[in-house]
Parts: sequence; structure tokens; C-alpha cells
Amino acid sequence: MRGPAEGHRSPQACDWPACAQKIVGHIEDSLCSTAVPQVTQALSVLTTAFGHCHGLWTQGLWVRLSPLVARLLEKDPVPASHSLVDLLLSVARSAPSSYRGLWETLAQTLSHLSPTQAGPLALGILKLQDCPQALRTQAFGILLQPLACVLEAAAQAPGPPGLLEGAAGNSMTVDTLLSSKSACVGLLCCALAHLGLLQPLPQRPSPWPQAPLLGAAVTILRLCSGSAAPTSDVGSRLCAILVGCGRVQRAALDFLGALSQGTGPQELVTQVFSVLLEYLVSPESSSMVLKKAFQATLRWLLSSPKTPGCCDLDPHTQLFLRELLPVLQKRLCSPCWEVRDSGLEFLTQMTRHWGGQAGFRQALLASEVPELTKQLLRDPESYVRASAVTATGQLSSWGLCATPAGHECPGAQQESLLVELLHILSTDSEGFPRRAVMQVFTEWLRDGHADVAEDAEQFVAGALQAASRDLDWEVRAQGLELALVFLEQLLGQRGSHCPYAVALPETAPPGVLAQALQVLCRVQLFEFAFRALFDCDRPVAQKSCDLLLFLRAKAAPCGSPQEAGDSPNVASVEATLQRWQAGEQGQPLGYLEPGAVVALLRSVDLEGLRDTLAESSDHVEKSPQSLLQDMLAAVGVLGENEADCY
Amino acid sequence: MPEIRVTPLGAGQDVGRSCILVSIAGKNVMLDCGMHMGFSDDRRFPDFSYITRSGRLTDFLDCVIISHFHLDHCGALPYFSEMVGYDGPIYMTQPTQAICPILLEDYRKIAVDKKGEANFFTSQMIKDCMKKVVAVHLHQTVQVDDELEIKAYYAGHVLGAAMFQIKVGSESVVYTGDYNMTPDRHLGAAWIDKCRPNLLITESTYATTIRDSKRCRERDFLKKVHETVERGGKVLIPVFALGRAQELCILLETFWERMDLKAPIYFSTGLTEKANHYYKLFIPWTNQKIRKTFVQRNMFEFKHVKAFDRAFADSPGPMVVFATPGMLHAGQSLQIFRKWAGNEKNMVIMPGYCVQGTVGHKILSGQRKLEMEGRQVLEVKMQVEYMSFSAHADAKGIMQLVGQAEPENVLLVHGEAKKMEFLKQKIEQEFRVSCYMPANGETVTLPTSPSIPVGISLGLLKRELAQGLLPDSKKPRLLHGTLIMKDSNFRLVSSEQALKELGLAEHQLRFTCRVHLHDTRKEQETAVRVYSHLKSVLKDHCVQHLPDGSVTVESILIQAAAHSEDPGTKVLLVSWTYQDEELGSYLTSLLKKGLPQAS
Repeated sequence: MRGPAEGHRSPQACDWPACAQKIVGHIEDSLCSTAVPQVTQALSVLTTAFGHCHGLWTQGLWVRLSPLVARLLEKDPVPASHSLVDLLLSVARSAPSSYRGLWETLAQTLSHLSPTQAGPLALGILKLQDCPQALRTQAFGILLQPLACVLEAAAQAPGPPGLLEGAAGNSMTVDTLLSSKSACVGLLCCALAHLGLLQPLPQRPSPWPQAPLLGAAVTILRLCSGSAAPTSDVGSRLCAILVGCGRVQRAALDFLGALSQGTGPQELVTQVFSVLLEYLVSPESSSMVLKKAFQATLRWLLSSPKTPGCCDLDPHTQLFLRELLPVLQKRLCSPCWEVRDSGLEFLTQMTRHWGGQAGFRQALLASEVPELTKQLLRDPESYVRASAVTATGQLSSWGLCATPAGHECPGAQQESLLVELLHILSTDSEGFPRRAVMQVFTEWLRDGHADVAEDAEQFVAGALQAASRDLDWEVRAQGLELALVFLEQLLGQRGSHCPYAVALPETAPPGVLAQALQVLCRVQLFEFAFRALFDCDRPVAQKSCDLLLFLRAKAAPCGSPQEAGDSPNVASVEATLQRWQAGEQGQPLGYLEPGAVVALLRSVDLEGLRDTLAESSDHVEKSPQSLLQDMLAAVGVLGENEADCY
Repeated sequence: MPEIRVTPLGAGQDVGRSCILVSIAGKNVMLDCGMHMGFSDDRRFPDFSYITRSGRLTDFLDCVIISHFHLDHCGALPYFSEMVGYDGPIYMTQPTQAICPILLEDYRKIAVDKKGEANFFTSQMIKDCMKKVVAVHLHQTVQVDDELEIKAYYAGHVLGAAMFQIKVGSESVVYTGDYNMTPDRHLGAAWIDKCRPNLLITESTYATTIRDSKRCRERDFLKKVHETVERGGKVLIPVFALGRAQELCILLETFWERMDLKAPIYFSTGLTEKANHYYKLFIPWTNQKIRKTFVQRNMFEFKHVKAFDRAFADSPGPMVVFATPGMLHAGQSLQIFRKWAGNEKNMVIMPGYCVQGTVGHKILSGQRKLEMEGRQVLEVKMQVEYMSFSAHADAKGIMQLVGQAEPENVLLVHGEAKKMEFLKQKIEQEFRVSCYMPANGETVTLPTSPSIPVGISLGLLKRELAQGLLPDSKKPRLLHGTLIMKDSNFRLVSSEQALKELGLAEHQLRFTCRVHLHDTRKEQETAVRVYSHLKSVLKDHCVQHLPDGSVTVESILIQAAAHSEDPGTKVLLVSWTYQDEELGSYLTSLLKKGLPQAS
């Protein structure tokens, strides 16, 4: 619908075309309806309209409909409240200043809705770029209220200034918190989630009450675990409601994690770590709660300050680590795969960041965690095996893998890990662990892992051989990634991917190239890459095509095409390749001479193949001609069979 | 007014993308979270923005329930939980929990492989999503929170498929998911108890069909396979790794054994072993026959079915190959099809529906020249057969389930509108219940009568028992007491206890009533007549004639007075306390009938 924008006349509803009048009339009727679904529908339509169009006509629409919207607020309870919030935010996000009375409506809505319903609106208002300060204060107050109540209720004695001076005891919030368990849980979860979302935003309210919020999160977690013993009536009622409540625990742990981005007084930070440890230790914690506790712990650990003038961990963190590792050890033995897996993910992340810190290395090697991690390579659950592969890979990169004597690993130990991972790669029945092994191998090769670097050729040959036989195309694709890293190490980095960069030939010096080609032939990289070029799974073929194109660019000056191209070796290889392309992949390529490889690279139409592969594999089926054929053929044939796919 | 609201986000007058929002007594539950096989754009997943646009899903939903592992019921789950963002619990049965991630992974690989989709959910997301799953056992009541509870029932259809009862207080909804009311080769029939829910949400795939015997279809299938193999041809059966594949494997295995056939049967991809592993692991979920024979021989340990290697496709001689995926749209099944399509001795059997645009769909609709990648034209000379083995309840089965559960209302999903309309009328006629069939995004609202639990004080019960009447569940009995509401609880207590608990003093309340009697005698004499009449009628009560001339029956006081205007009429003033109200009204009506004539 186009409004009378051209003339800049005031938007008169009577100027609208008849169909628009009819639509608006229907929306008006629906907004006045007593049936909630009808109100919801009308609000949704308006949300979409205001979300997508801005013009004089939407202003006119607002003028006409806002009284009806405001009338919804007079009802108790407010019908379709979350659709109403969606609409108001949609209008506020578009061009708030052009909608008359919008800020007043928003303030009015904030005060009319119940604390739980008002939460999403308050968050939406605080996210707005441009909004009156009074409204922002009101909105922030709504988000803080529940936490302020908890803090007040749990206080043993009148303590330091709370979250909201003078407003802590808002009766509506206290009523909601105490009315029933589900209302209390709902309100607290919303408040925690909304504040967590607000925390990292640049437009979050300033000053941000970091310390009281930390205090509130810790208090809520203590109420949930039963370790807090509030003396007030409200406090003990809250304690009874929250104890053991997984939903609040998850929300509070997420929030606590988000708060790690700010700082807090040392005393509070100590409390944070102690409550996190309490959750990690507690047998009552569910697997999801434990996962969140691990995530929050990681965030706090990584944000903990370094000791000035020293690159090692600060004493508090060190102390905490000493307590944490035995807990992690226990969790790695959990009967629940979800817990073992979350534990391993935590360990991987921690090692990735702190593998070089002496304090961490010391604490880790003194524990049984590395040994347990290695044992989990044989876990019955494939997800856990995959995480164990990633974790041991990471530990080994930092020389932290398990040793019986507790010393950092010597070469022999390392070799056995390599053998074990190769064994997993060639025998594990599931794709995840095999994929994880290929990723670890690629990382090891890229980072120049000491033991890989010792005999990189043999390492790459072994890995590629195992990957080439794999049924999982992602393992084969990862194999090509490894091959590419190897190529780059031999021949230098790939060129810039910037489309505007001037493309200069980046060929390798002939001596280096000849040597590299010899190596590549020895590790049978070409057999792997050419086979992958005709792989039935498109991403593998695409990756292989890219790899061979890169190689061809590097090899440009090497030898003349004629001399190698005429050799009988090349002819037979070309024939084999053609058979492969036709789908017969039984026959091996055999040993290739570097010269033949270069000739082959020139003779295969790699660019053409790349263009074909760039189209999705159903492009033929999706073509108009194919659709027409479908339609012609479908007449009356398939009608009855439609449900049989499920 | 309490109500149940149901909004399908998918599967409303449609098959695919099952996702139904149910709001019951203030709790919001999402039933299934599927994808649509027919779409590859935004429409393949349910429109979750319908739930909320600016809020978080976790705050709006109390839980998600997945009925079974088919992708049209769980395919959008990682997208929903990890990409849109849902942190709450997801409930499903143990076999579904085990098999669901395999199929999701399979789906992801095909989507990424085939379409090169970059913004698709990852393996890590599938894993994170599965960590939110809570497994439920059959017939176990799971308390989601203090008010909401769910319970799973056996649904047949596929391994681990379940129907779910969702209950808050006395209000309940049953969601069937997909189910099968007749047992097949590896699964049993669906069953539910007479739970009389307020609403039964049932699938209606075969709303108008009465399906022929499955035996006929099986015989037909075996005949076709046998004929092809006998003439030296190869049979390709494109399947999805789990479900129908296992059923067909059992079928061929038994047939091969009986006929002593030698042609090899292969099952492609590593998924087979894993799939069969799960069938073995969850043997209690299969049918009685398989469970019984399990001790002697595990039906899922196939003697004739072997793992397929890519090189086998080029081997000469007859063979049968089960290959994934089922619609010939990518991967190994398509690769084998391309090799075998040119030979008229070979056969491809499609045991399920194929989405438009796939090679499977093209050959089923009769196309014989297919344009493949790189401008190649593939001529299809092999025979193409379609066979339906899907395990849904037919019209008879759906009616049977409605009869079994005895719901107050029925809502149809997972079917085509035209067929639903027919079934809706049939259900309304036969069971005299309302039947609904909302489209996607349309909300059905059902008012329910609230049931408020009331506790009865022990004192009150003891008093009743003291009267010698034992409680009998089948005979309702009237019980007097005072209803008090304290701490959001209702209790029925004796009036004395109520007064005590509430700290109130007792007030005496008397009702009075005038009864006019035609009697010319003096007031005293009228009183005597009243006394003797009542004495003779009310033998169990204490009737007294007091010295002041008034008559009492328990707390009821009767006084006779002369009428001010009519000397031939006497006025009886009857007064009683509210405790004796019943007796008081009885006496009044008795006296209104007049006194017996003096003999």
C-alpha cells in the first residue's frame, strides 16, 4: 500500500483505497474482540506491517489504532501480552519519533504488565538506540526488581546498598515471586536471561551495577543449592521454592558466566569461584547444570587477571585450579555421557588457553586428568570418544599427555598416542571420532608438533591412506585439508584470496618444486587427491579441485607439457582417471612420476570441473525444464503416495 | 475461564514439519519439532517466530516433546534449540534419544553435501541439542515441574515411537505422534489406556483409507525381487537407514532362508551396523514375536545381509542392495542407480514417497530420460517399482484409538485437508465429540471446566464414620462442612474447626416462618394438637411440650398465636437455627398440610 507520501499531506484514513480500509477495519474489530487468538492475530499483522514499512501511512495507521492498543492495557489480565510487546517494540525500532505518544504508551505498558510480561519489553527498550532516559530507568528497574527482592530477602542483616535503592520491595514483584513456584521460577529466569543479554551491549545502562548483580547471582545459586539459610520470612519461602530448581540454576549460571566480562571486588570473585565449585562437586547437579557450570567456570577462569609483572596465573586462580582438577577427574568418570563430554570440552578449552602456563601445567600433571582423558579414547559413546581425541590432541600439543611417572611426555609415549589415533582413524565405527582425529592431525601438522615434524612424510602418508578409505565424506574432506597444509609447508602459502589483489604468478623455484613433487608422490597425495576429484560427495570433489589448482599454479614452470604428456605412463593414468570419472574406482593409479603429475594437472580441465562443482548438486533437478518435465509427468500418477515418506 | 489452546506451526492440514503448540492450564508445551522434506527454503522448518518475536523461547515453553525419530518430527530440533535458542528440557523415549542424532547427522551431511548450505546446523549443535534431552520410559509419569506431568505410551510406527499424555491438574491432552494400530514384522501395535483426555491430537495420514493386508504387499515385493534375481538382474532398494530398512531386511532374510537363495544381499553405508545395533539394544520395544525368539536367535543378526563396498556395484551377477538415501537425491544410492539404470534386467524398488525434484520422484512419475550433471543424459531402462510400506494407522485404526482413549474433543493433524474433513465428520457422528482440524498458524481454543482439589479434614471424616456409614467410591454422599481457603489451598472442615482456625465467634442465626392453620380452638389447644401430631410423625426426634405452651423439636421452636383479624385461624410461628435447616423446612411443609382431624 502506498500512502499519500508524495504530497506530504497529513495521512487521512479516508484517502486510503477501499481494500486498505477494509483490512484496517478488520484489524480494528479484531483488536476489540474478546477472543484472545483474534487479538493476537491482529497484533501480529501490525507487527509485520510496522516492522517492514515506514511511511506516512504507517504513521496514520498508528494514529488510528494506538487508542485501541492502549485500551488493551485497561483489561485485566492484558490479552495477548507478548504479541502486544512485539508490536510496541516493532514500532519503537522503526522510527519512534514519528509515532505520536509512543513513549507514553511504552511507559504505560511497562507499568500495566505483570513483572514477567514486562521483562521482554524492558529489554527491548534498553536495546533501543534513542530513547528517553526516564523510560530507560523505568525499564532497567523492572529487570532489576526480582534480583533486588532476592538480595533483600536473603540478607542476614542490613548490608551494603542493594540493587535498587528504595524500590527493592516493589509489592507486585514480591507477590509474583511468592505467589507460586512456577511464577517465581519464570520471573527469575526471565530477569536473569534479560540482564545476561544486556550485559555485553554497548548501550547497556551506565553505571552498570556489577557488584550487586554478582551478589544476586551467587545468592540465587546458593538458594537453589540449599546452601543459603535466609532468616527472613520471604527469604525462607524463596529458599523453599528454589531449592533444587534446575531451570533457575541453568539461568543463573549463564548469567554468572556473562558477568565474567566485568570486574568485581576480590571477595565477591572468591564467592563466585566457591559457588561454581559447589555446583561442580554437587551430586545433585544435573548434566545440563554441570555443563553450564563448566562453561561459567571457564569464562571466569579465562577472565581472571594476571599477576602484574608475571605471565603466570594469579595465586587465587592457582589455588582454585588445585581444587578444581580433582572434581574434573571425578566428572570424567561420570556414568552420564553428557557429563563426561562437557568435562572433556572444558579441559580442551582450558588447555588451549593455558597450555603454556607453568602453574596450570604443574597442577594438571599432578592430577590424573591426562590419564583419564586417554582412557576415554575407548569410551562406548562416540561423542565422548571424539571429545577425548580433541582433548588428548590438545594436551599432546602442549606436551601434557599422560605418562605413568607423571613426567612430561617423552617421545615413546607420544608415538603410542599417534599410533592410537591412527588406529581410531582406521577402525572406529563412528564418524565423529575419526573426524576429530583428522582435525587433530591437521592441527599438529600446522603447528609443527615436534613428533610429527620428525617424520612428516610418513605421518602424512599414514593419515591420507586411512582417510582415503573412509566412508564419511567429512573425514575425506578433512584429509584434503591436511594435504593442503602439507603442500603449503612444502611450496609456500596459498595466494591472497582478495579478489582485488593483483594476481602475480607465485610459482615455486624449480629446485624446490621438483623435490616437493617427489615427496608428494611418495606420500601418494596424488592418488588421494585425484580419487577425491571424482568423489560422489561434492564438498570432497570441490576441495580436491581447489588443491590441485593450487598445485598447478605452483608447478607452472616445471617441465614442458609435451615431453611428459607423451609418455605411456601418463596415457594409462589418464585412462584410469576417465574410468574413475565414470564411476569405476576399483583400479589404483599406481606410482606416479613427478613429470607425469605435472602433465596430468595440465590435461585435466580443472577449471571446468570447478565451475560444475560450484553449482549445487540438485541444480539440474531444479532447472525450469526439469520442473516442467515433473509437472507433465506428475499428472495423476503420484497423488496417493505422498504420506509414505514418513 | 480455563482453556486449552492448540496451534499447529506445522502438520496443520499438511504432512511434514510436525510442530504443535499446546497451552494447557498456563503451561506451554511444544509437540515435535520437524522439518518438511518438500522444501529447501525457509518453509522447511516451522515458523518459530510465531511463538515470540522479541522474547526468548525458553521463557515461553515449559518443555518440548518428540514423539519419534523421523525427521518430519525431529529434523528442526538442533536449529530450534541451538540456532533460534531454547534451553529447556526436551523429552523423548530412549530409542529415539539414541537414534535421533544419527538421523540428524545424516540429514545435515546431505544438506551440506548436496546443497552446499553453509548456514546449517553443525555436528556440535546436534550434540549440544542432545545434551538437553531427558529420556522417558513407557508408562512412567515424568514430573516436568510441580504442575506439569507427561507420560509415554507405545505407538508402534517405528522403534521408540510414543504417544504422550500431557497433564496439568485434571486437564489433559494426548498427542499420538505417528502410530500404527496393527503389528508389523518388527513392531507391535499402539496402545493407550482409557485416560479420557480433554483433547486427543491424532495424526490422520490415512484418514480415508482402509489399508489392504500388508501380507499382500509383502508377497508382491518378494515376488518382484525374486524374479529379478532369478533372471540375473540387480535390485536396488533406496532406503533411509532406519525403520523400513530393517523391516525389509527381516523380510528378505526369512525369504532367502526359506528359498535357499544364494544371490548376495548388501546394505550400504556404516549406518546399518549401528542401526541394527540399536534394534538389538532396544529389543523390548519390538513386537512379541521378535522378543520371544530373541533368546534363540536375534532377528537383527542377519545371515544373508552383508555390508556393501563401493567396488561390489561393478561385480557381475545378481544381487540386492539396500542403499541410502531413500529418494535417490545424492550419495550412494544415486551412484549405484546411475550404474545400473541402463540394464533392463535390473530393477529399482522405491519403498517410500519421493519429494519433487529428486531423481526418485522423476522415475516414479514415469520419466525415462534423465538429465544428469555435466549435460549427460541417463537413459533409464531398468524396471521401476513403487511399494508402500509406511506404518500409519488407517481410518479404522484411528477410530479404534479414539474409542480406546475416550477423549472429550479430537484434533486432527498430519494429513491432507480433504481427507481430514471426511474423518472429522465420521468421528463427530460416531463418538459425539467435537473434532477440529486447524491449519498451520490457526489456534483452536477449548474451554475446560476447572477442577479444584479440596482437602477434607480428618475430624469431619471421622464424624461421618461415627454415624456408621462407610465411604463407598461408587455412591456419592452429601457431606456438610465449611470450605476454607488458606495458603492457596481449599479444605472442607467442620464449622467448629473453621471458627477455631479463623478465630471467629459463633453467631446464632434463626429462621422464622408463619404457618396459618384453620382452627377455632384456643391457642393452647392448637399447641397440644401440634405436639401430638409431631410426636406421632417424628419418632426419631425429641419432641417436647414446654410449660409456656410452646412446642420444640430439637432446636426448632413452635408457638401458636391467634390471628388478629380472623378468630377461626391460628398462626404457628416456627423458628429454627441454621444447623437444623433441613428439619425446619420439613416441619414447615408438614404443618402447612394441616393437622389431622381429632378422632
